[in-house]
Amino acid sequence: MPAVERDSGQASPSFEREAAKRVFAAELREVRVQFKEGEDRKSPGFILFPTGERANRIFIVGTLTEKERRGEQNLYYQARVADPTGTFYIMAGSYQPDAMQQMAMIEPPSFVAVIGKPTLFEGQSGATRVSVRAESISVVDAETRNIWILDTARSTLKRIESFGNTEDSKRAREQYNTDLQIYRKMVYDALAQMKI
Amino acid sequence: MDLTEAVERISHKMESKGKKVERSKIESKMRLLVEDFGVNMAEAERTVMNDLAKEYSVNLAGAQNADRKEIGALMPGEWVTIEGKCVALIAPPSPAISQTGILADTTGAIRFVVWARAEKPPMEQGRWYRIESAVVDEYRGAPKLNIHSGTTISPVDQDIPIIPSMHRVAELRPGVASVRVKMIQEWEPSHPRMLQTGLVGDASGIVKFTIWNEEGKEKLQPDTVYSIYYALVDEYAGRLQLNLSSALYLPEEGDIQVWSGEKIVGALVHIAPGSGLVKRCPVEGCNRVLSRQNYCSVHEIQKNFRYDLRIKGVLDDSERACNVLFPCELVESLTGIRLEEAIELAEGSPLGMDEVFFRLRDAMLGRYFSCTGTEIEDRTILKDCQWLAYEPKELAALLNRAGGA
Repeated sequence: MPAVERDSGQASPSFEREAAKRVFAAELREVRVQFKEGEDRKSPGFILFPTGERANRIFIVGTLTEKERRGEQNLYYQARVADPTGTFYIMAGSYQPDAMQQMAMIEPPSFVAVIGKPTLFEGQSGATRVSVRAESISVVDAETRNIWILDTARSTLKRIESFGNTEDSKRAREQYNTDLQIYRKMVYDALAQMKI
Repeated sequence: MDLTEAVERISHKMESKGKKVERSKIESKMRLLVEDFGVNMAEAERTVMNDLAKEYSVNLAGAQNADRKEIGALMPGEWVTIEGKCVALIAPPSPAISQTGILADTTGAIRFVVWARAEKPPMEQGRWYRIESAVVDEYRGAPKLNIHSGTTISPVDQDIPIIPSMHRVAELRPGVASVRVKMIQEWEPSHPRMLQTGLVGDASGIVKFTIWNEEGKEKLQPDTVYSIYYALVDEYAGRLQLNLSSALYLPEEGDIQVWSGEKIVGALVHIAPGSGLVKRCPVEGCNRVLSRQNYCSVHEIQKNFRYDLRIKGVLDDSERACNVLFPCELVESLTGIRLEEAIELAEGSPLGMDEVFFRLRDAMLGRYFSCTGTEIEDRTILKDCQWLAYEPKELAALLNRAGGA
């Protein structure tokens, strides 16, 4: 930004969109902490990554391996998207009409990019599961998938390297007692399988 | 403080008294005190100055007036005494002001205002003056020197060469500044009294400039590099602009790099409604996007609209979600869908203009781009944009980083 545009001190009244964080499936699967920032009913909800960063929205690219239409009155799609480390569980319901219509047109297997909000669910067995409510899902190519792996590796390494120095990572250390070595290896393995 | 600067100042002061002293001599005196005796820089400078004054039989009393301030160090709210050269005179904006312009010394420059009620004889451009008991205040964020009835102005018979220090555009603050910039854009003057307005820039940023219609003022030539001395930096609605009324500007040989905008590398995570093929109001200067019924919010139904192609979206680099606009040329070059084809697509499809929206969405959503652009009111207008390519070199670097622990 050019510094000639000086901060006039007036906060923009328009709301600021939350950035989409990059995370591998193997890390997202371990998420157990969900919280809200602020008291308001409309204040954004966040999950906390074990490597120490909050996320209200995530961006993932992987292979759509399975999709299933569910529900009678309230139609929704459930889908599985795989990355080199594991599987993301994607949902697209009538509250996300764009994503639902896009989902209807995509046939597995294909590379897809998903933008969505991660949420924690408690299953009937009492086990927690993280699923992603898709805001949009679109077909992409292998190159986009490769760029995403590098992008996500970079983001994850950055979190690992600054672990203990940020508010969110201090919180993650308390809540998860994170073993960084596991996540470093996850990143290494994800990158290593690309090397052909 | 810097030793070389102190040496420079001492040398200047001695020269202004008509004595030429070798810099190496001043420097060795300074070094002796600072390095061998651990004297602080300010005290060392004072001591060396006094030593030399004695040695060369120079009387410093006049020049070393205790409460004389350097122009570069003036703060709002102070009563001050300065010595400065009148480097510019500007037509007074109001009859309450008898004279206004810029006073400069070797440390900086400041806007001055002589109030009509003060009844002072006018200053001449190019001459030095001693101004006693003036008041510094702030006008629209810029420091200003007020000369009132209690101020005394006396001509000083000297001419110390002043080399104005150049400012980087990105570091401009309200006040007076000198810049070395290239003229990159000329706009329609928005006022009959305006001679020229547009954009100038250097490697650090770009800024709007204005030249008012006054005698002897010339326009800047496009794509030409200028040294601009003593321009007024005004702040208006949170933005800075250069007013060249007071400035001396000289064209220069050669070329300089100009800041090309903000760089954004990220994924396109959202394409907003209103993207794709749109119809624009044909009324001159309007250009608003029409509703589906060809309705303009100002000019009502417009049947002779013209089509445009654009994408309003969000580029996200995982730390910031940035509102962007891909103008027609970029949409065409990225997707290969030209405006004329988009019009044909829309006219030949039962989905109409939505057909174009879906095509663009399927081609671009969820992909990575590398772009540059200029931010205007919370949205970055992209100037240049490419599909991001996969870099095998990065893979190697990241593998090292991940395995390196």
